[in-house]
Amino acid sequence: MTATHHDETPVTEYPPHYEPPRGPAWRLVFGPGLVRGVWMGAAGFVLGMLLVLLLRWWWSWDPVWNTEVVLVVGALTAAPIGFLAGIGAFDYWLYYVSGRPTRPEDHSGHGATSWKDYFRVNTDHKVIGIQYLVTTFVFFTIGGLMAMLFRAELAQPGLQFMDSQTYNGLVSAHATLMIFLFIIPAFAGLANFAVPLMLGAPDMAFPRLNALSYWLLPIAGIMFTASFIAPGGAFGAGWTGYAPLAEGQPLGQTFFNMGVQWAGASSILTALNFLVTIITMRAPGMTFWRMPLLVWANFTTSLLVVLATPFIAGSQFFVLFDRIMHTSFFVPEGGGYVLGYQHIFWFYSHPAVYIMMLPGFGIVSEVISSMSRKPIFGYRLMALSLMGILVLGFSVWAHHMFVAGMADWLRVPMMISTLLIAVPTGIKVFSWVATLWRGRIHLTTPMLFALGFVTMFVVGGLSGIYLGSVPIDIAASDTYFVVAHIHYVLFGGSVFTIFAGIYYWFPKMTGRMYDERLGKWHFWLTFVTFNLTFFPMHYVGLRGMPRRVFDYSEAFGDLNLIISVASFGLGASFVVFVYNVVVSWARGPVAEANPWRAQTLEWQVSSPPPVFNFDEIPQVVGGPYEYGVPGARHAILRPAREAQEVPA
Amino acid sequence: MRKAIVHLVALGVVIAVPVTLVAVRFQWLPTSASEEFDRIQDVYWFATVMSIAIFSLVTAVVVYSVWKWRVPRDDDRDGPPIHGNTGLEIAWTAVPALLVIALGIVSAVVLSENGQAGPQPLQVRVIGQQFAWKFTYPDYGDLTSGELVLPVDREAKFTMESVDVIHSFWVPNFGQKMDAVPGIETTILVTPTRTGQFAVVCAELCGLGHATMRARARVVTQQEFDAWVKEKRA
Repeated sequence: MTATHHDETPVTEYPPHYEPPRGPAWRLVFGPGLVRGVWMGAAGFVLGMLLVLLLRWWWSWDPVWNTEVVLVVGALTAAPIGFLAGIGAFDYWLYYVSGRPTRPEDHSGHGATSWKDYFRVNTDHKVIGIQYLVTTFVFFTIGGLMAMLFRAELAQPGLQFMDSQTYNGLVSAHATLMIFLFIIPAFAGLANFAVPLMLGAPDMAFPRLNALSYWLLPIAGIMFTASFIAPGGAFGAGWTGYAPLAEGQPLGQTFFNMGVQWAGASSILTALNFLVTIITMRAPGMTFWRMPLLVWANFTTSLLVVLATPFIAGSQFFVLFDRIMHTSFFVPEGGGYVLGYQHIFWFYSHPAVYIMMLPGFGIVSEVISSMSRKPIFGYRLMALSLMGILVLGFSVWAHHMFVAGMADWLRVPMMISTLLIAVPTGIKVFSWVATLWRGRIHLTTPMLFALGFVTMFVVGGLSGIYLGSVPIDIAASDTYFVVAHIHYVLFGGSVFTIFAGIYYWFPKMTGRMYDERLGKWHFWLTFVTFNLTFFPMHYVGLRGMPRRVFDYSEAFGDLNLIISVASFGLGASFVVFVYNVVVSWARGPVAEANPWRAQTLEWQVSSPPPVFNFDEIPQVVGGPYEYGVPGARHAILRPAREAQEVPA
Repeated sequence: MRKAIVHLVALGVVIAVPVTLVAVRFQWLPTSASEEFDRIQDVYWFATVMSIAIFSLVTAVVVYSVWKWRVPRDDDRDGPPIHGNTGLEIAWTAVPALLVIALGIVSAVVLSENGQAGPQPLQVRVIGQQFAWKFTYPDYGDLTSGELVLPVDREAKFTMESVDVIHSFWVPNFGQKMDAVPGIETTILVTPTRTGQFAVVCAELCGLGHATMRARARVVTQQEFDAWVKEKRA
C-alpha cells in the first residue's frame, strides 16, 4: 500500500546491501523495460516450445512437433509471461517472495515526467489511466479500419476484394477488438483516472496490481490482431466463437481463445482493485450515499466483472481443450453438449453488455449534472437502479438463445426478466432528462455527446425490447436488425459516453483544453454518419438479410452501398477527434483546475493533479451534485497536518 | 410550468408524426406468408407503438430543454436545486413496468399459439450441412429434396438436425427460425398461407460458405404438392 503513506517523508536512502545500478547499457538490457520484455518474451517462447517438445518426445508421441500445441504453450502463454517479467511487472513481488531485499518504495514508479514514462511499468493510477486510454484508442482505430474493410466488401453483393475466411476473420476480429480492447478497457482507463480522485484517495488500493492489469491488455490486443498472420487466417467463428464451428477453425482460433484469457485477467484484476479501492479508500465523510454516480457505476460494473468473467474464460478454455487435448466438452460424438457452450458463454457475455454500459451511465450522470447546473434527479434511485441492473443482468443470458434450441420453458421467464431490465434503465433515462428540465444548460462537447447518448441509447433500448420479445426475436434474431441494435447500444451508447468522458476529463488529464469548435464538429459528424450507417441496418435485417454474410440478395444492394459510404464518413469523423486531441494535448491552452465548475473532488485539485492527488486529505461533507443549493459543499480540503490529528 | 408542458406535448407530436410516417410508409417486414408470422407482426406493431411514444417523449424533453434553457458559456448561475420528486419517480418506474409486462404477456400468448401443433402436421426433416439444406418427408417414404415444397394452408412441423456445425433454418417470409444443432433435434411449426417462392436462408454463421447456404421454398396448392410428390417418387 505504497500510496496511502504518501504523507510520510519519502524514503530515499537504500539499505546497505542494495546494489547500486550498473552502467546504462547493462540497465537497458537487464533492467526492467521494453528491451528486457522483448528478449524475455522470446526466451519464454523458446522455453515453452522446448517443454512441449520434451514432453512429446518423452511420451514418444508422433509427431514430436505439433504446431498448434507449440503455439498455445510457447507463443500464447509462455511468451507473454516472459514479456511481463521482462518489463518488470513482477519485480517487486519476485524480490519479496524470494526473500531478497526489496527496493524500498521511493515512488520512482509514480507519476510521469516525460512521454517515456508511459512505456514503463508505472504505478500511478493517473498514468495508468492514460496508458489504458491511448492503448484502447489504438485498437479502436484498428478495429474501425477492419470494419471499413468489410464494409467495402459489402458495398456490393458478391465477393469482391477478399476470400471468405478473411471476411469472417475481419468481422470476428472487429467485434473482439471493439469489445475486449476498446469499450471495456476504455471505461477501465477513464475510471482508473477518475475514481481514486473522486474518492479523495491518493491512488488505487493496489498500484502494482493496477500496473499489471494494464500490461495484460496490449498482450491480448496483439494476440487478436496477430491472428491474421497465423497459418489459415484469423479466427472466423465470430466474437461469440460458437462451438463446434470454433473447434474446426484454423490455428487463428487459438489466438482468440488465449487472447480472451489475457484480456479477462486484466478485467478481473482491475475490477478487484476498484472494489477494494471503493470500499476501503474513501475520504473521511465519503459515505456510499455521497459517492458520485461514476463511482457507483464502477462499483456495480466491477461486481459484474468479478462474478461473470471467469465464465467466458472457462468457455474458451473448454474449446481450447477440445482442440488440443481432445476432450469433448462440445463434441456431440464424444458425449459433449453443444448448447452448453452458449449457456456458459452468454452467462458472461450478457452481463458483459452491462459491463460495457454501466460505466457510461456514470459518465453521463457526471456530465449532465454539471453541465445543467442542477443536482442529478433522484440520486438514490439512480444508484439503486444500477444495482437493479446488476441483479437482473444475471438472469437474462438465455435471451441470446431463443432460437438456439434450448429448453422451451426457459424462454418466457428469460423474456420477462429481459423486458424488466427496461425498468431500471428507463429510470435512468427519465432521471437524466428530468435533470435537464429547468437547468442552465451549457452545450459543450461532452454535453453534446451525453445528450446524443441519451437519444441514441433510447433507440438501442427500444430495439432491445423488440428482441426481448420471443416471437419478434424468432423473426429478427441473427439478422442485421441485431447488428443495428448492438451498434445503437454500443456505439450510440457506450462509445458516445466514452467520447463524452474523454472531452469532460481532457483538461484534468492533460492540463490543457481541447478545441471546442472541433469537438462540436466531431460530434455532429459522428452523430449524422452514425445514424446513416446503422439505422438502415434495422430495415435490411427485418427484410431478410442475415448477419455475418459476405454476400446477400440483390434487393439489399442499394441500402448496403449507402451504409458502406456512411461508414467511411463515420471513420473520417474520428480523424477530427484524433487531430483535436493530439494538437490540444501538445499545444492547447492551459486548462483551469475546474473549467466546468463541477463539485466532485477531482476538480478541486490542479489540472493535471499532483502526483499523490491531494496535498490535503479532503473532508467530505455533502452530496456530489449540490448545484444551486446555497452554501452547500461536497468537500472541504484541509491542510494535511490538521487532517492527521483527526482519529481515523 | 403549464405552458412548458403544452409546448412539450406539441413538440412530442411534431417528433412523433415523422417517426410514425417512417414506421408505416416503409414496409419494414417482409410480406407474411404464414399464420405464425401474422401473429408475430401483431406483437411487432404493439412494440412499435410503444417505442414511438417513448422515443418521442424522451427526445421532446431533450430538445425542448436545450432549446429553452440553454445558456451562454460565461453564464455562471446554477439551476434550481431540485433533487427529485417521489411521485414522478414512482410513475416512471411503474408505467414502464406495466408496459413491458403487457408486451411480455402478449408475446407469451403468441409464442404459445405459434408453438401448438395441430392434430396432423406435415412432418419435414431439415438437415443442415456445410453449406446446403436437405429436406426429407417421412410421411412420403423419406422423400428427399434440395428444395422445400409445402402445401398451402397445411401446418408443417420442421424437425432440424445438423451433421457438422450449428446452422439456422430461416424463411424470412414465414417469420420462423430455428437452429439446427449437432447432437440434438429442434422443432418449429409453420402454417403457410400464401403460395409462391421464398428463400430459405442459413442465419447462423457456419463457416466459409455461410452466405451461400440458401435453398428455395415453394408453397403450392395441395394438388400441386401431391403431383410433386408423385413425380419425385416415380
